[in-house]
Amino acid sequence: MSGLDSALKPRLKRRSTFEYVSWVVCILVGIGVLSSVATNPNFKWDVVAKYFTHESILRGLMLTIFLTVASMALGTLLGLGLAIMRASTIKPIAAVAGVYITIFRGTPVLVQLIFWFNLSALYPNLSIGIPFTDIGTAIDTNALMGPITAALVGLTLNEAAYMAEIIRGGFSSVGKGQIEAADSLGMSGAMKMRKVIIPQAMPSIIPATGNQVIGMFKGTSLVSVLGVAELLQSAQLIYARTYETIPLLIVASLWYLVMTMLLSYPQSKLEQKYSHTSARVPRKTRKVTLTAPEGIAR
Amino acid sequence: MNADGTIQAQKIRKSFGPKTVLKDVDLTIASGEICCIIGPSGSGKSTLLRCINGLETVDSGILKVNGEDFGYYETDTAYHALPPKKLAQQRTRVGMVFQSFNLFPNMTARENVMAGPVLVKRADKKQSAKQAQELLTSVGLGAFGDRYPAELSGGQQQRVAIARSLAMNPEIILFDEPTSALDPEKVGEVLNVMQDLAKKGMTMVVVTHEMGFAREVADSLIFMDEGNVVERGDAREVLTNPKEPRTQAFLKQVL
Repeated sequence: MSGLDSALKPRLKRRSTFEYVSWVVCILVGIGVLSSVATNPNFKWDVVAKYFTHESILRGLMLTIFLTVASMALGTLLGLGLAIMRASTIKPIAAVAGVYITIFRGTPVLVQLIFWFNLSALYPNLSIGIPFTDIGTAIDTNALMGPITAALVGLTLNEAAYMAEIIRGGFSSVGKGQIEAADSLGMSGAMKMRKVIIPQAMPSIIPATGNQVIGMFKGTSLVSVLGVAELLQSAQLIYARTYETIPLLIVASLWYLVMTMLLSYPQSKLEQKYSHTSARVPRKTRKVTLTAPEGIAR
Repeated sequence: MNADGTIQAQKIRKSFGPKTVLKDVDLTIASGEICCIIGPSGSGKSTLLRCINGLETVDSGILKVNGEDFGYYETDTAYHALPPKKLAQQRTRVGMVFQSFNLFPNMTARENVMAGPVLVKRADKKQSAKQAQELLTSVGLGAFGDRYPAELSGGQQQRVAIARSLAMNPEIILFDEPTSALDPEKVGEVLNVMQDLAKKGMTMVVVTHEMGFAREVADSLIFMDEGNVVERGDAREVLTNPKEPRTQAFLKQVL
């Protein structure tokens, strides 16, 4: 045992043979796949490049982003409402929210989207007014429920059910003692919700919501069945004409991939920020706190 | 009836499912009285305390806090639950300090103390901040206003919690085992604050295992077991000369 002083020698991790083998296999498979993708002319990478920033693809992308943002925002608001209703001590209100969540989570979004698009088959006219009187107006359902509206309604209502469950989970993560403390100060229900429950539920709600945004972004591709020219439908419209199916699907997929990767960065940041502790300790106060100003036993 | 800091209970009953936790409990606490409730766990002492500010509702019996029926109003045939606003208003007059502090972790110490006056009483923010500062100083935490509960020790958190209750200017303040969750070395600082408080003439009901505090500070002592008040009387008298065999046995165990 010559050489270094034994006490100073580094201690190395054990590497199994399996680790070396897996490296070799992984690299070989990687090279195989990449060379095949690069050399197979059927991928038509020139076509991919040509359409990647094509005007109608970009327009489709914009619509996809719009649908994601709008239905997430509306879905979250509605979901918050449903979560509050679900937590209500008034039975019928809690039951309405429960039934809503069961139905909208229990049926496929695709079916829901087609359903809203075909609402006119059920109600040819929608009217707003006071029942049993002539006051009010009626509109043609088909005129109201265009493809984009149907897409927005379908995605929002579905998302609301999922967000309601996420928010409810957040609410139940707030300790009973917190609610008792708020009660004993005489806080009203709404005040308790706003100042005590929601702020403390956020740490568990936000990361899950980030996941929902990513899911929603890809989920918007479903509305292509309604003929809404979002990203996937825009690609489909082009390959229906040019028969370059695979290259255009690659174009759409690359955009989905790029966007979800862009979204997952802030999502993982948020997750880190909220994951370790439910107690919020802002950085700015942390510095000041290490000195004990008064002569108090610590 | 005016604000008076009294508590009167007659034949209070409370069950959780098949388990009766309070069996016809009678209780009279005068204004400014410091009353300690002791007893083994499961004796109903915490439940009794929680009934006094409405965290639990009593099943039957009379419960008057500050001279008013608490949480209910009486008619010829029944007690009817008060609307939430009225109940909340009654609760603002009864402070509560919890075993696990229950400070709001999303607010600083100062914001915790201001929560009651500002959010519930809609008091002026500046004035509430000033009052909060005074209260924090009085519990020895004048320089800790900007800290979040997670940055405070257990004893400090409990002192903030006491300041938070005091900010509502309650006539009565209830303590539910306020030192049970603390490191032994932090118990003293909280008991000192409570002792200071006792001198100020506020009605205090303290569920505790601190027999020293009961002997030093309390006027009266209640010993509870299995949902009954077994013995009550002058604190020092009960602690030194317990009459009931059950009390004697309990005190032998804990002293």
